[in-house]
Amino acid sequence: MTLNIDEEQDVSVTKGMIRAEFNFWVGIVMDKFYDGLQEKKFIGTKCSKCGKVFLPPRNRCGDCFAKAEDFIDLPETGILKNFTVTTYKISERKTRNVKKDQIVGLVQIDGADSAMVVPVININPEDLKIGMKLKVVWAKNIKGDPNDIAGFEPIGGV
Amino acid sequence: MANVQPAVISAGFCEHASKRSDVNMAELVNEAVEDCLNKAGSVEWKDIDYVINGNMPAFEGANMPELWMTDHMAAKNKPLLRVTTGGTTGGSVFVSGYYAVASGLYDMVLAVAFEQQSCGNTTVGLASVALGELSIYPSLGYEATRLRRNMGAGAAIGVASYQAMNYMRRSKATEEDLARVVVQNRRNAAKNWWTHLKMPTITIEDVLDTPYISYPLRFGMVCPASDGACAVLFTTEEKAKQIADVPVYINGVGSYANEPAIIGVDCGGAGQTDPCEQLGAVKSAELAYSQAGISFPNKEIDYAEVYSPFPNQELQWVERVGLFEPNSAPEAYLNGVTALNGEMPVNCSGGVNSTNAIGASAMERPAESALQIMGKAGNQVPKTVHTALGHGWGGAINLISHVVMADEPQRKFK
Repeated sequence: MTLNIDEEQDVSVTKGMIRAEFNFWVGIVMDKFYDGLQEKKFIGTKCSKCGKVFLPPRNRCGDCFAKAEDFIDLPETGILKNFTVTTYKISERKTRNVKKDQIVGLVQIDGADSAMVVPVININPEDLKIGMKLKVVWAKNIKGDPNDIAGFEPIGGV
Repeated sequence: MANVQPAVISAGFCEHASKRSDVNMAELVNEAVEDCLNKAGSVEWKDIDYVINGNMPAFEGANMPELWMTDHMAAKNKPLLRVTTGGTTGGSVFVSGYYAVASGLYDMVLAVAFEQQSCGNTTVGLASVALGELSIYPSLGYEATRLRRNMGAGAAIGVASYQAMNYMRRSKATEEDLARVVVQNRRNAAKNWWTHLKMPTITIEDVLDTPYISYPLRFGMVCPASDGACAVLFTTEEKAKQIADVPVYINGVGSYANEPAIIGVDCGGAGQTDPCEQLGAVKSAELAYSQAGISFPNKEIDYAEVYSPFPNQELQWVERVGLFEPNSAPEAYLNGVTALNGEMPVNCSGGVNSTNAIGASAMERPAESALQIMGKAGNQVPKTVHTALGHGWGGAINLISHVVMADEPQRKFK
C-alpha cells in the first residue's frame, strides 16, 4: 500500500490491493443441479404443495413456504423470455470489448416455472424474438459447474 | 416507552458447526426459521407480517443475503428490513423486532440472524468492522502500512486481550479464573443441542495447557468460528397470551454505543484509555432496567446470557450490567454461583465462547434467555426463571444491546 499526499489539491490518495477469496457451499439442491450438468441433464425441484417447478432448484417455495425437495428431470429445450445484447465481455474485465455482440437471455426451460440467465448463441441479435424456442448447447469439457452450459441456440436454426 | 407490549413467543435454532457444508446460506437460515415456526403453536408463516434479517456486513462476501433468502424465511411479498451492526447485529435485529411490535405497526414479526463463517473470507469481512474507521486514518496523516503495525494483534482478540489485561489488573483475576469460565461454558454447551464446541469433560488444566494467542488469552479460551442461524418470533401481549403457554414479555431495551476504544488510542485522542470500563454496557443496562422497573438487578434478575467470545469478557459484563459487585465475578464463578444450579446462572446455553456464528450470536443471547423463562431451553436451569437478560457486544468496538425479559408484562401495562 502506498500513500501520496498531493499538496496542491490537498487530497490524499491511498492505493492498494486487497486480495479477497470467497468460497460458497452450494447447498442441498444446487449440489444435485451440478451433478445433473455433469450428465448433461437439467435437474429441478418441485414444490410439494403447489407443484411449481424451480430451475435452478431451490428447496423452498416462496409462495407456499412449503418444502421443494422433490427432484425432477427437465428437458433441454426452453423459451426465451427476455434478452439483452452487450458489446462488453460479461465475465472478463481485461479484454472488455468483444468483436461480436453478446446476447444474454432469460430462458425458461419447458416444464419449469422459473428461468435462468444464460448466453444465447448461434443467432444474430436482429433475429431474436421473445417467445422463441431454444435448445441447450453443452460445453466441450463438462466439469459440473455453470460453464457446462455453453449457451442456448434456436431450435432448427433461424 | 412502548405503545404496545411486545412479547416473544418462539425461538428457533439450526445446528451449529464449524462447517455446515451440507447447506448454503439460505438453507441454513431456513432450518432456524422452520424450528422457530414449529415451536410457535398455531402461528403459520402467512401470519408473519414483517421480517427482519441480519448478519455481519460482507463476511460471506454476499452483500444482500436477505434478497437471496427471502423465500427461505417466509418473507416473500412482505415488508423486509436488513440490520447489520457488527458483532451486535443479532442484538440489533432482536431490538428491531421489539421496535416493530412496540410501535404498533406490526403484529407478528420474524427476526432472523445468521452467519456462515466457513463461506467467504472472514478476515476480509472483519477488516470492514475492526478497521471501520480506515477511511479517516489518511485524513489524520496515518499511512496505511503503519496502521497495521499499530493495531498489533488484530481484530476481536486484539481488543479482547487489552480488555483482559485491564480486567485482570483491576480484579486480580488469574488465568485460572479465565479458564474456569471457559470450562463452565463448554460443559454447558455439551448439554445444549444446537451448540458448536461440546466439551463435557474439559478441565481448567486442559485450557491452561494451550499456547497463547495474544497474551493473556490462550488458544483454549478463544471462541470458535461457527456456521449457524437463529430466528425469533415477536408479537403483541394479546396475541402472545392466546398462542404461547408462557409468553415472554420484553420489558426493557437499551442500546448504547461508546466507541472507539482501542482504535481511538491509535487515532489520537478520539476514544478511551480503559477498554474494560464499558460505559456503554453500564448505560444500556441502566436504561433497560429503568424501563423494566428493576432497581436491584442482582436480586431481581434470575438468569443472564452475556456476549462473551472471550472468558474475561464474561467476568467483565456480569459486573458492568449490575449482576455482581465490581471485581467480584471471579469469586462467584469459583463458588458456583453462576453454574446451572447456582443462584445467578449465566450462559447455560454454552455462551458465545462455545458457539460463535457472529451475526447470530447477539440474538442467541436474548433468545436463550426467553427459552429459559418458557422452560424450554436446551440446558434448562432447575429453578423457575421469572426475569432474564440478554446482552450483546459488537460494532467496531463497543455497541451494546441489552434486553430485559420477564414472564409478567411491564408494570405500566398491568
